[in-house]
Amino acid sequence: MSSDVRFTDFKSDKQPTWCPGCGDFGTMNGMMKALAETGNDPDNTFVVAGIGCSGKIGTYMHSYALHGVHGRALPVGTGVKLARPDIEVMVAGGDGDGYSIGAGHFVHAVRRNVDMTYCVMDNRIYGLTKGQASPTSRSDFETSTTPEGTKQPPVNPLALALASGASFIAQSFASDALRHQEIVQEAIEHDGFGFVNVFSPCVTFNDVDTYDYFRDSLVDLDEEGHDPTDYEAAKEVILDGEKEYQGVMYKDENSVPYNEKHGVTEDMSEIPEGAPDDAMDLVREFY
Amino acid sequence: MAEDLNWAIGGEAGDGIDSTGKIFAQALSRAGRHVFTSKDFASRIRGGYTAYKIRTSVDQVQSVVDRLDILVALTQRTIDENLDELHEGSAIIYDGERSWEAEIPDEMTAVDVPLKSLAEEAGGAIMRNIVALGAACEITGFDVEYLDESLEKRFGGKGSKIVENNKEAARKGQEYVQENYDVDHLGYNLETTDNDYVLLNGNEAIGMGAIAAGCRFYAGYPITPATSIMEYLTGRIEDYGGHVVQAEDELSAINMALGGARAGARSMTATSGAGVDLMTETFGLVATSETPLVIADVQRSGPSTGMPTKQEQGDLNMALYGGHGEVPRFVVAPTSIDECFWKTIEAFNLAEKYQTPVFLVSDLAMSVTEQTFPPEAFDMDEVEIDRGKLVDDDDEVDEWLDEQGRFRAHAVTDDGVSPRAIPGTTDGAHMSTGLEHDELGRRTEDEDERVQQVDKRNRKVETAKEQEGWEYREFGNEDADNLVITWGSNEGALAEALDYLEEDGVDVRVISVPYIFPRPDLTDEIEAAEETIVVECNATGQFADLLEHDALTRLKRINKYTGVRFKADELAEQITQKLSEEVPAQ
Repeated sequence: MSSDVRFTDFKSDKQPTWCPGCGDFGTMNGMMKALAETGNDPDNTFVVAGIGCSGKIGTYMHSYALHGVHGRALPVGTGVKLARPDIEVMVAGGDGDGYSIGAGHFVHAVRRNVDMTYCVMDNRIYGLTKGQASPTSRSDFETSTTPEGTKQPPVNPLALALASGASFIAQSFASDALRHQEIVQEAIEHDGFGFVNVFSPCVTFNDVDTYDYFRDSLVDLDEEGHDPTDYEAAKEVILDGEKEYQGVMYKDENSVPYNEKHGVTEDMSEIPEGAPDDAMDLVREFY
Repeated sequence: MAEDLNWAIGGEAGDGIDSTGKIFAQALSRAGRHVFTSKDFASRIRGGYTAYKIRTSVDQVQSVVDRLDILVALTQRTIDENLDELHEGSAIIYDGERSWEAEIPDEMTAVDVPLKSLAEEAGGAIMRNIVALGAACEITGFDVEYLDESLEKRFGGKGSKIVENNKEAARKGQEYVQENYDVDHLGYNLETTDNDYVLLNGNEAIGMGAIAAGCRFYAGYPITPATSIMEYLTGRIEDYGGHVVQAEDELSAINMALGGARAGARSMTATSGAGVDLMTETFGLVATSETPLVIADVQRSGPSTGMPTKQEQGDLNMALYGGHGEVPRFVVAPTSIDECFWKTIEAFNLAEKYQTPVFLVSDLAMSVTEQTFPPEAFDMDEVEIDRGKLVDDDDEVDEWLDEQGRFRAHAVTDDGVSPRAIPGTTDGAHMSTGLEHDELGRRTEDEDERVQQVDKRNRKVETAKEQEGWEYREFGNEDADNLVITWGSNEGALAEALDYLEEDGVDVRVISVPYIFPRPDLTDEIEAAEETIVVECNATGQFADLLEHDALTRLKRINKYTGVRFKADELAEQITQKLSEEVPAQ
């Protein structure tokens, strides 16, 4: 990879239509910086985006990209990485995309442990449809479709990842630019599925989970002396319902990514101009 | 036409019916005989009647008929289920020592063989089906030694002792019949030839075609009757640098395959109708992002869970029209097992040349039927790969950059096909989306750009219509007054029905169509015929509707939706009957 790649190379010339102040700006900047910092360039990077405000990210970044169907970004990323292990795959989506309509894929992408990065822009609200409850909304959060709150506990995506056998679980905050970038960078560098839940506040429809709320409540695991390779310690912070954390919660140092486990190492786009040389062997098998 | 023999083994699901049948089919094939197999089965792993049927002849056979000559019956139900097909010359092999009292019609030859006891003598009761095969060899005058090779193939991995025991079991069955029955009067004496044949089913042909075509990435979710495509590829595609991944559902499977295709790999998924329902969610994205993808639909009886292990061709409209909005797709429906191979290769070429999803529509009957072919029917030297407008060197890429150096992945072109750059191609980075987009792949709601993109996508169909052959296959008498048209797996039964029709003095021309969209225009052929009948395995006549629309006329229809494929003799009768009916009102 060329060493002179700058993060702005990952920026398209399309102006974002996110609301001024949206957390997604910070989330995206950190992702672009982390990609540049880890030696990638737009021509070897594939960004997959879901549907929702977060899904627009593919348009605002410059790389190979697919803006897909609601909830199915992870399967697309999986296909890209298995077919092309040489390509850096970054999947982005929102909390609705990842933990509601795409929750099934999340569980299986986590356990499959394909070497890619998944940044979920978690604003605990449906923004693009103008303010309905999301799977991470608080149970008493009042919205147009839940006037008395959801009366359901929010999904704990970190715990869901842990229960699914994750090899890398982290959480960051869009506004803490440096830490967010560091954490995403670590997720990219991780050998396996790097999952980062990014607090990405919605300034228009969520007046509870605000920048101020996260600034006041976030506890940085680095400052707490947390050891992410300690599974028990990870479990404790992930299941701690009292505090909001940022940092890498869990990291399996012995993680073996899917491609390596299954010997999927070749660039599948390269094929011969006719049938493979020994293809008649396939026919002879039927004797 | 040489005399053919119809043989079957039936029992409970879990009795090893399938593998026993396959061993006999392979032995016949090794003896230079043609084989056409079919299966009656229920979806349960154990419990429920199941049968494996073989039609064999020294000539090519491509259909089942309503006749059964030799039946190995492990249960009474096997006999009961097949009474209509059995005749006075039939022989039924059964085990009289078993607890059930076989009720066999007097006019048939009952061959009571202590299958279990003889198997135990050879080394284990589990080999009782093999004893039955030995007995069948004696009755049909087929040398038991032909079984040896297929027993080695089947049991070789389990050690030579097992193989030897099985060979012994077969001989015990053969000898028992020889010593206790005079079966010569039945008159069966299976001729052998020096010909080499391969024996495979439609799903295996699709899988083999996929590898030959350069498919390297397959994502799927198990579903009857498509799973065996995935099972075929697993363990083989890796030898060519590919991979099969089992997704968590069909929603995921098609999206993984889409990802593989966007990454530049020839990618595929296969499912059945119920899975296509789920995949339809992503279908529009595949089509509008102009991604080359092959989606195989091995149809089974619907709607909903329907009859999962039964035959039907009811998904045609879904393949043609599934999904919201308007976007072109190609629909290809191979008409025979060897064509499953060739049409799969063609599907991959069409997908990449026109950057469009291609539905490869097969069906249950073709997926479970094994048929013999000379190996040259799958001549790999004949395989051609056309990757379309894939741009990979700098000059090619430069040609398609806009003034700001951005790659125009959805460039509006005369033929509707845009250049395609895959990840890793320098300066080819671009976005694709399910949103309506401009040439760069970025969202637009501009009226002009919208119309340009819709027209461009539709133009690909016009280009393909001009550039590709869209040929159909033809049988019978080209100048006959009566025309019979069919699609998909009915071809074999129809081709053989011609023999019966000829005996009855009925002259017909048969057209078998492998392309549903785009498809050949048959207006002239329909107009030239006095009568036209469309044959298909569904209740409403989905293909007949299309042909009526094309030719602006009304056609007669033969529809079967019992869950069982057409049989040659039955079809001949129905055609004769249909020809005598009034033409439907215009």
